[in-house]
Amino acid sequence: MENFRFKLKQTTPNRVLVADDDPVMRHLVTTIIKQRECEAVVANDGREAYRILQTDSQFRAAIIDMTMPFLEGLDLIRYMRSERRLMRIPIMMISAKQDIKLMTSSFSAGATAFLPKPFTSEQLQSAIRMLLGNGSSARRAA
Amino acid sequence: MSFDQVTNNGNEGINPHAFATPSPPGITSDAVDMELLNAFEELQLGDGSDLIVELIDLYLLDAAQRVTEIREASIETEWVLLKRAAHTLRGSSGSLGVRHVAEICERLERMDGRDSPQTVADLVRLLEYESAMASASLAAVRQRRLN
Repeated sequence: MENFRFKLKQTTPNRVLVADDDPVMRHLVTTIIKQRECEAVVANDGREAYRILQTDSQFRAAIIDMTMPFLEGLDLIRYMRSERRLMRIPIMMISAKQDIKLMTSSFSAGATAFLPKPFTSEQLQSAIRMLLGNGSSARRAA
Repeated sequence: MSFDQVTNNGNEGINPHAFATPSPPGITSDAVDMELLNAFEELQLGDGSDLIVELIDLYLLDAAQRVTEIREASIETEWVLLKRAAHTLRGSSGSLGVRHVAEICERLERMDGRDSPQTVADLVRLLEYESAMASASLAAVRQRRLN
C-alpha cells in the first residue's frame, strides 16, 4: 500500500503552468497555486509558454490568459490539444473579454474551464480548486 | 462633476478637466474599491509577507508602464498596441478594484475608426488622471499596511 502511494505521488505532477503577461494576475494565481501545495511554472507571454511546453509536459494543469503578446491563449490551447503528451492537461482560460463567442471558442479549442476578469478572490480560488480537482479525476479516468 | 457624468455623456461629453486636482496620498477617494482589494486578505500565505502590499507594488509598476504605452500609442496612432495595453490594464485594474481606470480602459478598447483623435486624446488624459488618483490611494493603503 505504501509502495502504491509512493508510486501515485511520483507519477502525479504537482506543477501548474501559469501563462499571463500581467504581473498582478500572475502573482494572484501563483499565490493560490502555492496554497494548494503545487508549484507554479510561470510564463510571461504566449511564446514563453509555448517554449516551455515544447520540452516539458509534467503539469497537473495550465492556467492561460486569452490575450498575450506573441502567441494568443487560444493558439496555445490548440497546440496543447494537438500534442499527445499534453492532451491530458486540464486548461483554464482567463480573459478580460466577456464574450460568449470567445468562451465558446475556448471550449471548442479544448479549454476545461473559463474565468472572466475581473474576478473576486473567491471566484479565483473556486476556479483553481475545480481545475486541480478536475486534473486528478481526468488522470484517474485515463 | 462625477466620474460617471464625465464618461457616460458619449464621446462629445468627455471632459478630463472636469475634476479637481488629485487628492493627496492618505485621503480616501472612490478610485479604489477597498472591499474588493481587501478580499485578497484571505489568500495570505502565512509566511510573513503581505499579499496586498505585493499586489499594490506590482500594480503600481505595471500600471505606470501601461499608461505610458497607451499615451505613446495614441500619439503614434498605433491602435493595436493601444488596445492591447488597455486590455491588460483593464484586467488587473478590475480585479484589484481600480474601477475608473478599468472603465476608461474598456472604452479605449472599444474605440474604432468613428472616434476622433480628440476623443482618444481626451480619454488618454482622463486615464492618466484617474490612474494618478488610484495610485495615490493605493500608495496610501500600502503605507498604512506597512505601518
